[in-house]
Amino acid sequence: MEISRRDFIKLVGGVSGAIAAGSYGLNQIIDIPEKLVEKLKNGHRIESWKSTICGLCPGGCGIRVRLINDVPVGLKGNQYYPINQGGMCPTGHAALQQLYNPDRVKGPLKRIGLQKSGKWKSISWDDALSTISKKLIELRKDGKSHQTVFLGYDEHGLMKEHISRFMKAYGSPNYFQTSHAQNNSIPFIFTQGHGLRPTYDILNTKLILSFGANFLEEGFSPIYYTKLFSHFKEAAKEREAKFIYIDSRMSLSGANADRWIPIMPGTFGALALGIAFVLIREELFDKEFIKNHSFGFEDWKDNSGNKHLGFKNLVLSDYYPEKVSSITNVPSKTILEIARDLGNIRPSLVLGDQGAVNNTNGTYTQMAIHSLNALLGNFEKEGGLYFIDKPSYDKFPPVKEDSIAKIGNQRIPVSKLTDGFSPIFDFSFEIFTKNILSDQPYPIEVLFIKGNPLFQSLYQHELAEAIKKIPLVISFDSFINETNEYANYILPDHTFLEKWDESSNIPTVGFNHFGIQQPVVEPLFDTRHTGDVLIDIAKRINGTVALAFPFESYKDEIHNVVENIYKSGEGAIASEGVEGVWLEYLQQRGWQIGRYASLDEFWNLLLEKGGWWNPIKKKKLSSEIFKTPSGKFEFYSQILKDKLDSLNKNAEKNKSTKETESLLVKLNFSAKGDTIFLPHHENVLYEDNFPLILITYQLLTNRNGESSNLPLMQEMFGYTMRQYWDSWVEINPVIAAEKGITDGNWVWIESSVGTIKARAKLFPGIIPSAVGIPFGLGHTSYGRYAKGFGVNPTSIIKNHYDLISGLPALHATKVKISLAT
Amino acid sequence: MRDIRYITFIFYLIIPNLFAQEIKLPSNPLAGQIVFEVKKCIECHAISGFGGNIGPDLSRKYYYGSFLELASIIWNHIPQMDRKYRLLKVERPNFTEEEMLNLIGFIYYLRYLGEPGSVSEGKKLLETKGCLNCHQIKGQGKKVGPDFKKIAEYTSPIYMVQAMWNHGPIMQERIKKMGMKYPTLSGKDIVNITVYLRQFTGGNTAIRMSAGNPVNGKILFKEKKCINCHSPKSETSNVGVKLTGIDLKKSVVEIAGLMWNHSPLMLEYMKVKSISWPSFTKNEMADIIAYLYFLGFEDEPGDPIKGESIFEQKGCIRCHESGGKGEAPDLTVMKKFGSPIRMIQLMWNHAPKMEDLILSLNEEWPRLTKTEMQDIYAYLKKVTINK
Repeated sequence: MEISRRDFIKLVGGVSGAIAAGSYGLNQIIDIPEKLVEKLKNGHRIESWKSTICGLCPGGCGIRVRLINDVPVGLKGNQYYPINQGGMCPTGHAALQQLYNPDRVKGPLKRIGLQKSGKWKSISWDDALSTISKKLIELRKDGKSHQTVFLGYDEHGLMKEHISRFMKAYGSPNYFQTSHAQNNSIPFIFTQGHGLRPTYDILNTKLILSFGANFLEEGFSPIYYTKLFSHFKEAAKEREAKFIYIDSRMSLSGANADRWIPIMPGTFGALALGIAFVLIREELFDKEFIKNHSFGFEDWKDNSGNKHLGFKNLVLSDYYPEKVSSITNVPSKTILEIARDLGNIRPSLVLGDQGAVNNTNGTYTQMAIHSLNALLGNFEKEGGLYFIDKPSYDKFPPVKEDSIAKIGNQRIPVSKLTDGFSPIFDFSFEIFTKNILSDQPYPIEVLFIKGNPLFQSLYQHELAEAIKKIPLVISFDSFINETNEYANYILPDHTFLEKWDESSNIPTVGFNHFGIQQPVVEPLFDTRHTGDVLIDIAKRINGTVALAFPFESYKDEIHNVVENIYKSGEGAIASEGVEGVWLEYLQQRGWQIGRYASLDEFWNLLLEKGGWWNPIKKKKLSSEIFKTPSGKFEFYSQILKDKLDSLNKNAEKNKSTKETESLLVKLNFSAKGDTIFLPHHENVLYEDNFPLILITYQLLTNRNGESSNLPLMQEMFGYTMRQYWDSWVEINPVIAAEKGITDGNWVWIESSVGTIKARAKLFPGIIPSAVGIPFGLGHTSYGRYAKGFGVNPTSIIKNHYDLISGLPALHATKVKISLAT
Repeated sequence: MRDIRYITFIFYLIIPNLFAQEIKLPSNPLAGQIVFEVKKCIECHAISGFGGNIGPDLSRKYYYGSFLELASIIWNHIPQMDRKYRLLKVERPNFTEEEMLNLIGFIYYLRYLGEPGSVSEGKKLLETKGCLNCHQIKGQGKKVGPDFKKIAEYTSPIYMVQAMWNHGPIMQERIKKMGMKYPTLSGKDIVNITVYLRQFTGGNTAIRMSAGNPVNGKILFKEKKCINCHSPKSETSNVGVKLTGIDLKKSVVEIAGLMWNHSPLMLEYMKVKSISWPSFTKNEMADIIAYLYFLGFEDEPGDPIKGESIFEQKGCIRCHESGGKGEAPDLTVMKKFGSPIRMIQLMWNHAPKMEDLILSLNEEWPRLTKTEMQDIYAYLKKVTINK
């Protein structure tokens, strides 16, 4: 049977191709290598399926890929994989458009023109790696290993450890991750003593109160929570459960709530404390938990006899409903209703994220929200929240550092301020960029980069200048994007359908799990796994750097982890009939579920089914739940106090005369005394006189801007707003009427940083004092489907950060809007 | 005519031997759990509290009996079950032969898996059994044997028995020297001790055994030479107690307890005969015990003459009339009764039609005991062979 390229495109495009074809014509959608077309021409039309893990977002969904003659032509959710149980988001369905994308980098490139000139030449892997290794060896020889930076994105699990090992063995303290999700554990560290994000028992709760947590769209694993939420809604009919959503904008989660409560951006913490006020005054809190498992609720005295303010008296004096109402614009009556529901409908659960915490006061806001869970005594309780046990299996032996590495690793990271004062967080683009531009604390010679911070971050112009200054920049991305246009080399990784990887213990997912990502097809082009590239470079550097990688390939590392899981005897391969309750039944009796005759059998079954999981929760003592100095939930954070005290000591060491108060001013704290260490509301300092607050958010179809080069995702981009291939600005109809703006008008959105233009979407689901623009579009690079479509709202956001965690404050910029003529 | 009767009589005498090994030992009896869930049995029946509560919980320490005994329990409650399917609008599942074997094998296996232990009971036992005369825990006890903390990560109780068994000869010698009473194990003793010791392990490490594989167990039973003294079937054995004479319808740790309790006698005999002590590694003890446990799974051969008579008495013949004259097919020409599993699978799958017919005729559901099942199978098998 003769198959033309067009036939094949139809076959692999399926529904997605057909949709996209409406806009762009079939041949533009995907670019299929001739060898695959030949396979289909000459094959016997044999259908097979392979399991893997979707790599298009960090959600970790299991998928099954359909192959004809070993050529991927379609995919669906893996029904056995416990995270998504057969479900999939729209992005996952577009995975083949990434694999067959016509704009992929097909082999190693060396830039031959100016930065951003787009002039590249193909080189061999050996030439590229030889040049890079020589430079790295030279730096080590000169005692400058620390002048190498690895700017990662959202790596987790084994890949994160792999890069950390490389950097540690090489001798640089400069491995940072730029994904926001990596840095949002700080409020949990302050209150719990560890940064583990809890998993929320939505299935068994009767009331969900969400402070801006758009878990159906923007959470760590939206499909996992969508599954849980659908069960919650089903059960809600019988047990009268409800979901209340608080946010300035009605997101997808808000639209699925029983009640949406609009609030002023940046005031969520005040509302949480207003709710705490009612819980305390009406004695609706868990007195046993507060008495035995919390610290700093009541006023207290330290060892020196000094009296300290407790959470209760702070809340009772400063956060009464009328006052909170004046801050938040939420009526007092509503505050009372929410608090009484929360206190009386048990079990009830409180979540906080995105909309609530993407601001300068995000850390304190999350502390205030999390305090509500403490008041409800929700820890390790059905219908409350749990912490997932650390997996029992090991990954690798520790890294051995030689003398060069030891010295290098002891240097101050380039992300820290060098004036003796360093904020609490590990990384911010602002400090990183300023340091590189000023060669502080030392110049940077080599930058490895994954991801696209010049599109995703704030401070883009300055960051571009900083990258330009670095002599050797190496990117691992599979596409040319805004950031690697400045690189000297692009060493393209495979797409996820072509590579080995793993996806384990996604934060907030309620069980230990290990999903295996296996190549469903041989790499289509001359690309290499970044893990293998680092091993190759390490071998070229030799010595202890090479010894840090005892395995020949990244796949072997994964196999080693799998072997350790196999030996642990815990959990089971995810398959039909392996429900959590059954695992628990067996484990209570000391059995493991799997009868795997050998490691090979375990490995093969893992590849066939797609993953392993262990849903059994170990019962924990209070001291295991809370790792704070008191061993309890800390309303008064002793860790935060210690951090600030240590910063002050550092200042003294450098002969600074700054006292603690001035230190706090430097961090822009308005609070004084004990309030600093307690959850409280800090006003957001808007520097501009513009009238509207700009809110940005992510959509399920394009969470971090990386799906912009998938035509199906462009075609579906704003499916809830019926807006495709373009951005829009959401305006409350009241404000639009005042400005004479109607639906679909072109509108200028202007901040003190810049101006962008987008079509108006009149939306009653946004408060009148804000406008909303989705993040994801507005690329100036990243291929034919991404470049030139829509606008990037981060380009007009001011460079504000959370005062403590360093996370970008995405909702702290004011704008004005006007009709574009 | 007399000759024919004689031949038939001889045939009936030899036919039981033809039934031997008709049910293959399952290598993974837990496979039936998948059937149990996929076919939605779990929606009505719980296993130790996990599952629905419409039907009885299937794991309450109950030994249900052999394959056909279990099948008879299922058969007898088919009308009740089918009424629930209709009431709850749940699709009634059909089973393949393999699924039927796996399902019944799984239910049979539940007793073997045992029950969870009690920490407080374990603490008491550790003190009363004299374990602390040799072992230490939490600084208490003596250092003659290994510190219990070191073995606390071995979460399977059967690991504990296996370890004890392997160092049995040394332990017995020391016990004698110390003038102690030999500690015997019964009921959930070892489970309780294990869960108590589990409290002292650090980290998350928990080493577990896989539930036993009867097929491996059968091989090991020969390899470890257990068979030299203990006959698994009714043949006479030279030395040890015949296994048919021991109640093996117990959980794995209870059977392990029996093994442990008889080890002093066994050791004495082996010393006299200069036989080396058999030790076990990995999953071996669990496998051997699974084999012993599954000895009771396959049914004793039935009586085809009685079977023919039951076939008539229960009214089966009224529908399954010879020559295909009845409402239902003539079973004698179906040639489908190669194994009891096949018979039970067909019986289950055809039950709804039969139910409708019985209801229309105002008849009662034909209840069958285990023995009646065995006899009917023997009869159907016979007529199939005859044909």
